[in-house]
Amino acid sequence: MLESISVSLESLNLITLSPMLIAIVGALLILVIDLFKENLDKTLYVMLTMLILFVDIGATYSLNINERGFFDLMLVDGISVVSQLIILIASLFFIPLALTASSKRFHEYSYPEYFALFLFMVAGFQFMVSTDNLILIFVGLETASLSLYTLIAMHNTKGAHEAAVKYFTMGALAAGFFLMGSAAIYALTGSVELYEVAKILQSQGADSTAFMLPVLGGVVLMLVAVGFKVSLFPFHMWTPDVYEGSSAPMAGYMSIVPKLAMVTVAMRIFGIYINLDIEAVSYLIIIIAVITMTLSNMMALVQKDVKRMLAYSSISHAGFIMAALALGTTKANSSIFLYYAMFMVTNLGAFAMLWISQHKKKSFDERYDHPFEKFSGMISISPMAAVVMGIFMLSLAGVPPFSLFWGKLYLISSVVDFAVATAETKYMILAIVMVLNSAIAAYYYLKLIVYMFLRAPSTSETVVYANQSRPLNVVIGILVVITITSIFYVQPLLEFISYLVSSSGY
Amino acid sequence: MDGILTVLLFFPLLAGLLGFVVNKDSIRAYGIAVASIEFLLSLWLWMSFDVSHAGFQFVENIPLVSDFGISYYVGVDGISLFIIIMATLMTLIGIVALNIKKDVKNMIITLLFLEVAMVGVFISLDAIIFYLFWEFSLVPMLYIIGAWGGERRLYAAVKFFLYTFAGSLIMLIGMLYVAYVYHSVSGSWSFAITDWYALILPLDVEKWLFWAFFLGFAIKVPMFPFHTWLPYAHGQAPTVGSVILAAVLLKMGTYGFVRFSLPMFPDASVLYITPVAILAIIMIIYTAMVAYAQEDMKQTIAYSSVSHMGVIIIGTFAMNAEGITGSIFLMLSHGIVSGALFLLVGSIYDRRHTKLMSEFGGLASVMPKYAVIYGIMLMASVGLPLTIGFVGEYLSLAGFYKISPVMTALAGTSIILGAVYMLNLYKRSFFGPVTNEANKKLNDLDGKELAALVPLVLIVIWLGVYPKPVLVPIDNSVRALTSFMHEKAQTKTAKATILVSKKNKEMK
Repeated sequence: MLESISVSLESLNLITLSPMLIAIVGALLILVIDLFKENLDKTLYVMLTMLILFVDIGATYSLNINERGFFDLMLVDGISVVSQLIILIASLFFIPLALTASSKRFHEYSYPEYFALFLFMVAGFQFMVSTDNLILIFVGLETASLSLYTLIAMHNTKGAHEAAVKYFTMGALAAGFFLMGSAAIYALTGSVELYEVAKILQSQGADSTAFMLPVLGGVVLMLVAVGFKVSLFPFHMWTPDVYEGSSAPMAGYMSIVPKLAMVTVAMRIFGIYINLDIEAVSYLIIIIAVITMTLSNMMALVQKDVKRMLAYSSISHAGFIMAALALGTTKANSSIFLYYAMFMVTNLGAFAMLWISQHKKKSFDERYDHPFEKFSGMISISPMAAVVMGIFMLSLAGVPPFSLFWGKLYLISSVVDFAVATAETKYMILAIVMVLNSAIAAYYYLKLIVYMFLRAPSTSETVVYANQSRPLNVVIGILVVITITSIFYVQPLLEFISYLVSSSGY
Repeated sequence: MDGILTVLLFFPLLAGLLGFVVNKDSIRAYGIAVASIEFLLSLWLWMSFDVSHAGFQFVENIPLVSDFGISYYVGVDGISLFIIIMATLMTLIGIVALNIKKDVKNMIITLLFLEVAMVGVFISLDAIIFYLFWEFSLVPMLYIIGAWGGERRLYAAVKFFLYTFAGSLIMLIGMLYVAYVYHSVSGSWSFAITDWYALILPLDVEKWLFWAFFLGFAIKVPMFPFHTWLPYAHGQAPTVGSVILAAVLLKMGTYGFVRFSLPMFPDASVLYITPVAILAIIMIIYTAMVAYAQEDMKQTIAYSSVSHMGVIIIGTFAMNAEGITGSIFLMLSHGIVSGALFLLVGSIYDRRHTKLMSEFGGLASVMPKYAVIYGIMLMASVGLPLTIGFVGEYLSLAGFYKISPVMTALAGTSIILGAVYMLNLYKRSFFGPVTNEANKKLNDLDGKELAALVPLVLIVIWLGVYPKPVLVPIDNSVRALTSFMHEKAQTKTAKATILVSKKNKEMK
């Protein structure tokens, strides 16, 4: 006979669930509206989604940090709040792009399910970052990923299906590795709660080799899972293909939100080992990070398609972030979120800009959708668009005073600090490798600028600037203003992020 | 009065933004007007500058990112004052002499943005703000070379950008290192260089940091192994691009040595005098020989400009008041003279669409005014007494004589070699009979070109004969700098090498 369980509602601390619940209820609301009345216009759904995201941001912002809830499954700490806010703001910039005029081409937005799935995905990511229970992380990850696969497939071009299937296959592999990693950790420590795991590892001590070897095995499995999701070498192969197949803003969104969620999880998992000074873990991450950023930079140099180039560039940015993650200092962890916040505005803008031009008649034998030639002489065809894209490229290259410069500055500074504080030359070399990579990266960003500003327009009149609708212009306008004026808000942003990160002990 | 630097910095920015509205037929007048106002503002800065005061003046300090110690911290002293005036002057001259036909509006606006970056570099007293303008100056220059340049302009523009970008990123690591050391000593973040001056670094740290900063500055100067981007950039850039590049952008590197390397790392600077001087001497002799071998007039001047930058480096690393004052004065004279020479090459190129010396000959009889101005500038470039070139070159070499007479003698060959290739250029192009038919009907300089060149000629002669009004403020600040370095130096050799000017006077 089971004992009756009595749980007081207060001990559940349901408020910690409120942000995700808002997103889920919103998604259900959209489905219910569709149930009652068909053929409502997408503008309704876009606005509803935006409102829900607004409320969600409010709920997230007003959370008390360092609280647990729901049988300690939920953990609302600083990094969970920061990454939720970045995820929600990125979503808020992404969704209005659905209002683009030509509804025939982007028919995926005419289905209400798109918005419902989108909100489910957001809720999944929110769950993923606000727990330290490996099982709930996995559930959040899969909720989000399955929704995301569908969103990609809904784009309904031949590339999109390929992309969705590819992403699904890779995602399934990553999920498998994540589960195996979790199982390894559970087998060793008897717990799936990361704080318990940390305690047990600490008490076991890092000295006993017999104990450490399987621990490292678990780390490697986890790293593979993270590597697939964050697109780290050698698990990055899917990224350019998937980005190429999905719609441009979706690719931009994918280069930020899923990665940020996974980086937050990685910060929780690997943070344990790094705090225990298990050097093998941080070396492993740094080596992977260095190879990731260097190799993808080399690949980006030779790309003929701008979207693929941006895909490889976002892989190399992920390498940067992983290098900071391996340090585990408060400054390094804050710099990751600052970097993502800055990267978000620039990269979303850059990908969205790809959207505004299209071929009038795309011939069947053309391999690429966005070849560099398409941007030739953009300055004389559409000067404002060229200037905006140029600013995004300079920002990605880390030229001051544009937004990503501050992210890069703070991130490299955290590496230099670590090198000086530990007096280890190898971290200094890491910093030098990072700046050299920035210099290499500048070349391919410049390449696009050279095409746009310094080359004559292509004579064939196959390129039209179709999607330049007002919503798109407004969103890109806001993004570019945020990119340019970054110098004025770096201080409050940095203060906010480092307060949140340090207050939860990262 | 306190806000004058902010006005000076943001006026061209505002003007550049407003310039988008101005009709493209009227943009030239707009550009000249704006650049003149900016130049007058910089003269006003000089007028209200307290000459007897050696430290920073018109200081403004507004925190921007206080958690990370970045602030809008600007000020000028005698070292930066005249470089700022030269930057605004050369921008004005460049716009007056502007001869491009295509997209004049874009060019003027780009030049105004470039002016913001140039002024910004020289007034910044915060390392990150300095870096910000330093990097940002690459963007307008990339556009100027890439959009209006010659045939291989894209290659030249991208090479220019990447070379400098890579070097300055290494410098950025150095800056972050110093900032962290400052943080661990004082407990707060600061990128203000006046704070950094007070920081006494361990010697082995100083050594590494010296090279990190050296790389950033040396590529910009450009010093010997890193100079390969410059001939391309000059060869492909339009006239105004070459003028600004040679006159002002290169000076950012040498200015960086004086502003950062010397006061922050006095011991390392003294320690590395010999390697740096050897690089500088190689740069002087080697590029002078290359200059002699050129067929292209503009390339000769480009290489001669690199060669003279070597003398500036020599003067900077003399570690005494004469040398450093001389090197700063040489920065000014080099800016004015090489700017003028590039303008002159530009005006002959506009007439004949060639820069090859073999195409010319006997120009002196066809274009007398042109030949006279060319001659004066050439003499100033060689360093003839009573021209602006002499003062700086003499002081730099005299300063370095106290370090090493042998190396000074080697560096002094720059005057002889300079005379060789410059007179060769002049002989082949200007003297002799007019052999080429196309040269017989060339027009002499027109009003626009004279308006740009005559003021430069006047400055060349005025400061050649009477350099005192410029030398005194420079000298004041440099003396303060050397005595500060002497105080700060930790090793005995450094203390002995960095001569404080008072002692000099007693010795004399």
